[in-house]
This record gives sequence, C-alpha cells and structure tokens, in this order.
Amino acid sequence: MKVYQCDQCEYASVSNKYRCPSCGTGKLQERDVSSRGSVYSYTDIHIAPAEFAHLAPYTVALIQLEESKAKVTVRMDGNVQIGDMTELDHVEDGAYIYRKC
Amino acid sequence: MTNVYIEGIGMTKFGKFIDKSMKQLLVEASIEALEDAGNPKVDAVFVGNFMGGSIGNQEILGALVANELGLGYIPTAKVEGACASGGIALRQGIMGILSGEYDTVLIAGVEKMKHASTADVTQAINAAMDNDSNEKQAGLTFPGFFGVLANRYFYETGATKEHLAMIALKNRENALNNSLAQFQKPTTMEEIMAARIITSPLGLFDCSPTTDGAAALVITRKKGAIHIRSSAQSSGPTQMQDADDLLSLPAVRESGRLAYEKAGVGPEDIDVVEIHDCFSMTEMLAIEELGFFNKREGWLAVEQGRTKATGDKPVNTSGGLLSRGHPIGATGVAQMYQLVQQLRGTAPNQVENARLALAQNLGGTGSYSTVHILERL
Ligand SMILES: [Zn+2]
Repeated sequence: MKVYQCDQCEYASVSNKYRCPSCGTGKLQERDVSSRGSVYSYTDIHIAPAEFAHLAPYTVALIQLEESKAKVTVRMDGNVQIGDMTELDHVEDGAYIYRKC
Repeated sequence: MTNVYIEGIGMTKFGKFIDKSMKQLLVEASIEALEDAGNPKVDAVFVGNFMGGSIGNQEILGALVANELGLGYIPTAKVEGACASGGIALRQGIMGILSGEYDTVLIAGVEKMKHASTADVTQAINAAMDNDSNEKQAGLTFPGFFGVLANRYFYETGATKEHLAMIALKNRENALNNSLAQFQKPTTMEEIMAARIITSPLGLFDCSPTTDGAAALVITRKKGAIHIRSSAQSSGPTQMQDADDLLSLPAVRESGRLAYEKAGVGPEDIDVVEIHDCFSMTEMLAIEELGFFNKREGWLAVEQGRTKATGDKPVNTSGGLLSRGHPIGATGVAQMYQLVQQLRGTAPNQVENARLALAQNLGGTGSYSTVHILERL
C-alpha cells in the first residue's frame, strides 16, 4: 500500500497533495507500508448508483492502517465490525478490495 | 457586519411538480420575493443550482431569470456548490454589494429532480464526490459517507439509531406546520425505526428526499429590518479517507467559527437555527460543530428535546431538508426564507421573540459549507 507522508509533521494520506494540508509547509513523500489495518468504521450500502447496483448490498469500510497514520476507504464482503483486522485481497478497477485476517 | 439587508423572500411549495419547468419554479419564487421587497430595481442575479445541466439539460439560469422578469441586461450567473449552491449564491450576492458594484441583488435557488429515475439522480448527486479516487471506485456513496460516520459515532458515544430517529421525527413534526413542506404526513418512532435500510445504519427517514422547488431573496444595501450580520464560507476534505477526525466536518466548524467572529456573537446568542440535515446524522454532527453542544454530546441534547421548536436551541423549525424537502440548489435559500419569517414573527413553529438566527448550508460530503447569521433590528 502506497501512502504519502509529510516530511515535516505527522500527516499522512493515501492520496498525494501538492503540499501538506496539515502544516502547510511540508512536502509529502511516497512510502510503502503494509496493507494491514483495523476497521475504523463501515456501512452496508443497499441503495447504490447505477454503476455499482449489481454489487449491492456491499460493504464500504474505512481502514486505519497499522503502519501509517493514513486511513483508506475499501470495499469488503460480508459482516464486518469496528476493530476487525483486515488486509488487501486485490485491486479491482482502482478499488482496494479487503478481507478479514 | 455586512450592512446588507434581506428585503424580500419567496418560495414555491416543495414536492413533485412534473407539470412545471425549472424556469417556472424559478420565476414563481423570484416574483414573490420581488413583490415582498416592493419591486426594487435589481442590479444582478445569482442562481444556486446543482444538476440542471446533468439531468435537466438546462443552464444559463441567471439570464433566464433576468429575461423572464424583464430585469434588463444586468449581470447574472449560476453558482454551483453541490448542496451548498444556494448558500454560496447568497454569499456571492453579498460580496457583490460589499464590493460596491451592486445596490440590490436577486438571489434564487432551484432544483428539479422528480422527473428523473432514482438511479439517474443518485448518479448525478455522485458528481459532488471526488470521482478520480480509489474511494469512489470502492463504491462509497453520498449517503454511505454519513452511514460510516454514524456507525463510528455510535461506537464512540452512547448514541444509537433511536437518536437519529428522534431527529427525523422532530423535523417531520415541524414540517407538519409548514404548508410549503414536502412531507405533511405524521409519522412515528416505530415507523422510522422499521423503515428499509438505505446504507446501514441509515434508513429511509434518515435521508433527505429528492424534491422539486425554488426559493428566492432580495438583498440590498438599503437599511431594513433583517440584517445579514455575517456571511462565511469554508471548504473541507473531499474524501472520507482524508478526514483527520471522522466525527468532524471541518468546513462546518470553520465556517461557523468565522461567522461568529465576524458577527461578534457566539453559539449561545443564537435563538433559532436552520441546519443542513441532508441526513439525520449530518444534523447531529453540525449541532456539535457549530458549538451549540459539546463534541460527541449532541445526542444527549437531542434526547432531551433541546433542539425541538420548543427547546432552548430550536433546529430546523421549517422541517429541515429531511421533511421540508431538499431541492438541492434551492435549499440554502429556503433556509433563509424560514429564518426571515422567524425574525418577522410569522414563521411556522414560531420561536417567541427570535432576534438572532443562523443558517448552515453544506455541499458534498463536507466539501463546502456556508454560515449566515441574521439579526432583527
Ligand atoms: Zn505536514
């Protein structure tokens, strides 16, 4: 999992930015970290837009990565609870598909 | 202090109007506002609208209003800021007057959504998310964002789905007294709790509806009874995964802080509030972010009935987005319609002797927020 870590402060994100939105001066540096993380929160989506309707109901979870301050939004199948440990299963059309571990 | 005053207000009934065009709705609300203001000369028009282009194939809304009303060849524009389009249109008008360029500006907001299918509307609304992101590709939806927030809120506080239902019920009860509101049918806690799930834990009553409707305001530098004491606007994260604190809406917090600072008042001074309750959960977070209640304690205030029309901090006496309805571009303007009525003493669910009123209008999943504070002189 790629994350972007500020070279001046604690800020980290899975998406790059021109400059650090937290301290306003730092530059973000690309870093590879483990995909492992715990479920910070989630929702089971029953009503989806046309392009995802064939998947509904599906779960979207916000994962707090273990090795970074960054969180990442992922899709999962089945029952999840806050605190469950998870990891990347595969990448599909630019989406991170996670599973429990 | 802006020294800009609201001189006239107008609003159509909110609901489903298949036989009326977007232009007709705009014109109807605008004429009412102009008549209420005594038909002053108008120097500019700003129209708040979000999806007229994508699902209605109609743009140039500013020029349409000027032409239909015969306002002359004055400058006009459409303002887009997702669900905050109306609040931002108002702010553009205020800025235009503050710059010295205009004396009197017509602000209107409109949306026409009922003719389109749910799938098409959901798709159009998703334009208010960052679509070039892994988050969008994961299938996160607009309501889904607030579902994720709600589950975390429940986890960190003592709140449950019932507290969200209390918000939905309160706003429905307020709408019953508002003849312009979309939903005028009473409901119960049981019905709200049992309604079908849209995105867990949010059910049908936790989500604002699709709505046709328009609202309009005439604002002017000429001194009047309703003063816009402050106008503020902020941006926030455009992706959930970039939230520093998931239970915070930084745009709401910052626009509120700026509005209080400019007005020289605090949350304790506000008598009546219209908040952007696109979802019941959004109202929960916004009453905290605007400083009416402590962080992570809004649910206690809801439980105690403090945000009811009869409480010490009445929120959404119009019925809010949940029950007055949410014609996206009109919402920010409709909030002002209700608050001006509150300050004139003619509102549905009138708050006795209201003097200071606050409106907060949100766009996207926390991408934009405007706050306006009004005072009765
Ligand atoms: Zn930094």
